[in-house]
Amino acid sequence: MSTQANDPRQPSAAKPFVAPAVNPQDLPVDYSGFIAVVFGIAGVMFRYKLSSWLAIIFCAQSLANMRNVENDLKQISMAMMFAIMGLVTNYLGPARPGTKS
Amino acid sequence: MEKLTSLFIFFSLLSLLFLSLSPSCVLANSHFEGFEPELDDVEDDDLSLPLTDLPLRPPPLTQSDPEPAGISSPDRDSDTPDPVSEPSDPQSTPSVSDSPKPSPTSFNYWDEDEFEGLPIEQPQEPVQQSSKSAEDSASTNPNSDSKPTSPIPKLANAPKSYTVEIVCGSFLVIFVINYFTGKRENENIALSWAAKFATKDSIFEKNFSLLGVGEGEDSPLLLKEGQNVFKFYASGRRYCQGLLATMELKSRHDLISRLYNMVVPCKDEISFEVYMNDDAMDHIIFAVARKKAAKGMQKDLKDLQRFAGILTPPSGRKWVPEELSVISESKEVAADLITEAVLDQVFGEKSFEKFGKYFISMHFSDQHSGMHKKMLLFKFALPDANNMADISRLVALVPYYIDTIGRYKLSSQARSKTETARSKAAQEAYRELQNARQEALQKRKAEKKKLMEEAEAKLSAEALRRKEAKDRAKQMKKAMPKIKMSRTR
Repeated sequence: MSTQANDPRQPSAAKPFVAPAVNPQDLPVDYSGFIAVVFGIAGVMFRYKLSSWLAIIFCAQSLANMRNVENDLKQISMAMMFAIMGLVTNYLGPARPGTKS
Repeated sequence: MEKLTSLFIFFSLLSLLFLSLSPSCVLANSHFEGFEPELDDVEDDDLSLPLTDLPLRPPPLTQSDPEPAGISSPDRDSDTPDPVSEPSDPQSTPSVSDSPKPSPTSFNYWDEDEFEGLPIEQPQEPVQQSSKSAEDSASTNPNSDSKPTSPIPKLANAPKSYTVEIVCGSFLVIFVINYFTGKRENENIALSWAAKFATKDSIFEKNFSLLGVGEGEDSPLLLKEGQNVFKFYASGRRYCQGLLATMELKSRHDLISRLYNMVVPCKDEISFEVYMNDDAMDHIIFAVARKKAAKGMQKDLKDLQRFAGILTPPSGRKWVPEELSVISESKEVAADLITEAVLDQVFGEKSFEKFGKYFISMHFSDQHSGMHKKMLLFKFALPDANNMADISRLVALVPYYIDTIGRYKLSSQARSKTETARSKAAQEAYRELQNARQEALQKRKAEKKKLMEEAEAKLSAEALRRKEAKDRAKQMKKAMPKIKMSRTR
């Protein structure tokens, strides 16, 4: 196979690399970001700590898998906001409304 | 009948009880403003359960029993927490057994519970506070367990909540650590691949004049996309415009998918896309893959589905090993592309045993959908970073097939066959396109029509309204004199 008499290279035909434009809709769906948003909202709504924590974990996963900074950061930041909000209301919020009532 | 009567009795008792309880409810509510919802529950329970006991309450003995206890316990609780709380509690449980009075014991029990629960709640909180300050909590807590209300969940929550935080926090820490280690692992694999195949005197350096994704001499060889996808680009070779290798590695940087991959294992893969020159590739549709995968490819990929079929291995000739199956438009193409050299190097019995585990699929076609129609696709699995040499023969297939296909010309017979097939397909595609266009046109027309009709309807509605207004005015006019008439009468 490697016995090629002449040089196959053709510098004149070289084309520089052009990154193919990717449609934002063609990108793989960011499931972890979606799950993070769901957990984050659930955490805020029901004041459920575990849910907020899970949201943070999935945020981390989404952040780790991020490919396109501009596209993904929106969703991740939203999920992050919900998660942190949930935790803040849980730990620093009005002293445990669940037990007060 | 019995049921009916019992029901009747039940209801009458219930109404009686409600009447007699209502003042006590109010009392209770006034006592515990903050506890409303929970108290409601308690009361509901009490309502349903102690139904029968209220009429029985009159015996002064039973009443006197719980009440002193309830009152005395808070009082003494505030003074000395533990010694009294103990007596008060045993009192709550023994009371059931303690009541050898004429009235049924169960009634007594419920009675007591009802009255104990309410007043004791007050003392409970002082108890709790004191338990926080004093260290006697251990003795009071187990006792308080017998009581039904709020303090218990509070106490139980405190240790539980920390487990959640500890677990999640440690998971996050592990996740972060894993992110960096996994990232480095993936980079190592990609770099070792590049070092093996794209540095000086390596296979790609000998075959392509331009390597790397950037421009100029010192351009980076690999383009990183995300943490687990690496791309390598090469160009400047006869017969082809360029080659793009995409390494899709396992998501080692992601702990969750790593755990998932423990259950569902996957491989590191590298796929080569070779964009052939338009004049350098004849009508060739050809694919090799493992049997199962080949079936899937034949079903899913449009060009294979349209033009090619799975070939039965020819007799009397060396052929690919049994695990693989060949999909091709014609036998002639397949026979010409699976050459002796390839069989010897990769697909022979012995060599395939060695390298076969890294082979996934090959797919050459001049009918790919997308920007580049004439494309060669190779898909291999990647070995780990230290054994990169294992796939060197497979990688050598890439330039070999570029040359083979670049030089390959179909025989005139096969060519006419493929041409008819392609023209047919092209016609169909054209027809479909036209159909689609016509449909779109018709849709647009229909929409326009709809819009026009809507506008007309609006107009007519306005006209109608105007007409109605006029009519009304007329009627008013008609009615006016009548009114006058009636007035004059």
